Amino acid sequence: MKITQELDKIYYFMKRDIISFSTYKTNILLSVVSALFGALSYAFWGSNASMTSVQNLGMPVVTYLLIGLAFNTYLSQSLTLVQRTINPWSLEEVLVSPTGLVTFIIGSSLWGFIWSTLVIVIYLSVGVFAFGVILSVNIIGTIIVVGLGIGTFIGFSMLGAGVLILTKQGDPITTIITLATNLFGNVLFPITVMPLPLQIISFFVPQYYFFTCIRPMLIGQGIEAILPDLAILGLMCAIILPAGYIAYSWCLKTARKNGTLSWF
Amino acid sequence: MQQEPAIQTINLIKKFKTKTATGKLFNRKTQSVNAINNLNLTIKKGEVFGLLGPNGAGKTTLVKVLCTLLPPDEGTAIVNGFDVVKQQMRVKESIGTLFSVGERGFFWRLTGYSNLEFFAAINNVPRKGRHERIMEVLKLVGIEEKAFVVFQKYSSGMKRKLALARALLPDPPILLLDEPTTGLDVTSSHTIRNFIKNDLGKKHGKTVLYTTHYIEEVSQMCDRVGIMNRGKIVALDTPDALKGMAKKGEVANFVVKNMSTTQVNNLRVLDGVSSLASEIQDSVLGQIHLRVRLENADTLSTVLDFFFREKIKLVNFRQEEPTLEDAFIELTGTGAGT
Repeated sequence: MKITQELDKIYYFMKRDIISFSTYKTNILLSVVSALFGALSYAFWGSNASMTSVQNLGMPVVTYLLIGLAFNTYLSQSLTLVQRTINPWSLEEVLVSPTGLVTFIIGSSLWGFIWSTLVIVIYLSVGVFAFGVILSVNIIGTIIVVGLGIGTFIGFSMLGAGVLILTKQGDPITTIITLATNLFGNVLFPITVMPLPLQIISFFVPQYYFFTCIRPMLIGQGIEAILPDLAILGLMCAIILPAGYIAYSWCLKTARKNGTLSWF
Repeated sequence: MQQEPAIQTINLIKKFKTKTATGKLFNRKTQSVNAINNLNLTIKKGEVFGLLGPNGAGKTTLVKVLCTLLPPDEGTAIVNGFDVVKQQMRVKESIGTLFSVGERGFFWRLTGYSNLEFFAAINNVPRKGRHERIMEVLKLVGIEEKAFVVFQKYSSGMKRKLALARALLPDPPILLLDEPTTGLDVTSSHTIRNFIKNDLGKKHGKTVLYTTHYIEEVSQMCDRVGIMNRGKIVALDTPDALKGMAKKGEVANFVVKNMSTTQVNNLRVLDGVSSLASEIQDSVLGQIHLRVRLENADTLSTVLDFFFREKIKLVNFRQEEPTLEDAFIELTGTGAGT
């Protein structure tokens, strides 16, 4: 496998997706407008709300909310990325080509990540330019946290896609992860506002560690401030990513063996 | 020294589990069906090989096994010298595949050119010279003028041609074409068949496995034809030799006058008559066309005696050469599209 050949393939996967995406102009406009309105709604609320539990974390509520909202969108996108590549017909065409599964997954996912990053920029720009949110990004720390978060969620996404390949409709993994993120993920409120039993559940949810780590990295704290949580996130990523890959490969292999790959 | 075959299957078996309703809620019976049943097949290099069979014969399953999409349950399949299970990447590099619903594998918002650009990249067509190769295959299938039109605006014929162009892109030695003319009009089908026979087969020496249930297609363009039924090859030879297999029976066409339904039924069960098809030729004149398959030439006199005895007037008589369709029906016990 030549690296340049695989990069070339990834480039053309991305080019394909950009061209397709750019033809849906109304959808692009609506996505941007939705992001702007969502950011404005939470920013107005956050700039006038008082949450002691948030202020105890050393940041204004609006900053807390916008970071949570922006990166939750990012993780939600990551969660469904692999599922969205399962077009049964083009999947067969790709699988009969000499292209490996890793190249296929990376290539099919890349544009989705780039677009999600643009949406994050919209969210954070609203906060910075309209509501005086002060961000001081620890670039290395942010890259590490985002990398581990994406890795974990791609693992979940592959797990969900694998289930979808077998069940054809209905992917419980994505639903469970989305629900868990909203309630236990430290996205829009700190878990300390919940009763203790629910707080304990949060400690088993990777999203909690992701959001606990990402906020300090965006307000200029050093990586040492998040090391224990980062270590747990890293451990979860190290388990979930390969587990997702193995599950996805197994489900794909099973569907091929049963001849049900294109039965959607 | 004997030349290595392009495609070879040895005792190949592919099973599918099917669930059938029993009439009770949540109670379904699971059965195992051999879609490919102990198949032994050898296709020579440079051969245009037709695989003919009724729906459900196992043709598409065989193509999917050969292109590595379906793993076989038992036996071996070798493509261009590579095992479809153990050397998947090498097999994929050796083949171009056109699936029976190939047009659904394209990206409808992209132009034909952009689609081929994508598939060229994932099929390892070198970046240098890729544009030229894309234009070359588009020209080969005759749609280069529509290269930059969005795929969703293509006609069915153009979509099929683009699917064929995609299969040709990496210039593979072996092409697996699964019902490439299904749903096409007569002109488009004719163009594609001529292209496969003359350009791919004769000019470029490609090995082509061509599956279809259209008998005339394989009769016109294939070097050899395999007739497949219930996952097995039931006959394999040149189209002419296969026609000969049907020759153990003679086919006679009669146009008769004033023959009742009872008389037609009596003729059908007459000794020496294998099968009989009848249709009204002229209702005003009371003429019926009978196509009678006879067990041998001697039976003809028995049929003529029957007409004489029953006072049926014979208007016209013609003996017919057996066709590939006769062989097909005899070997598979079913009809097929023509």
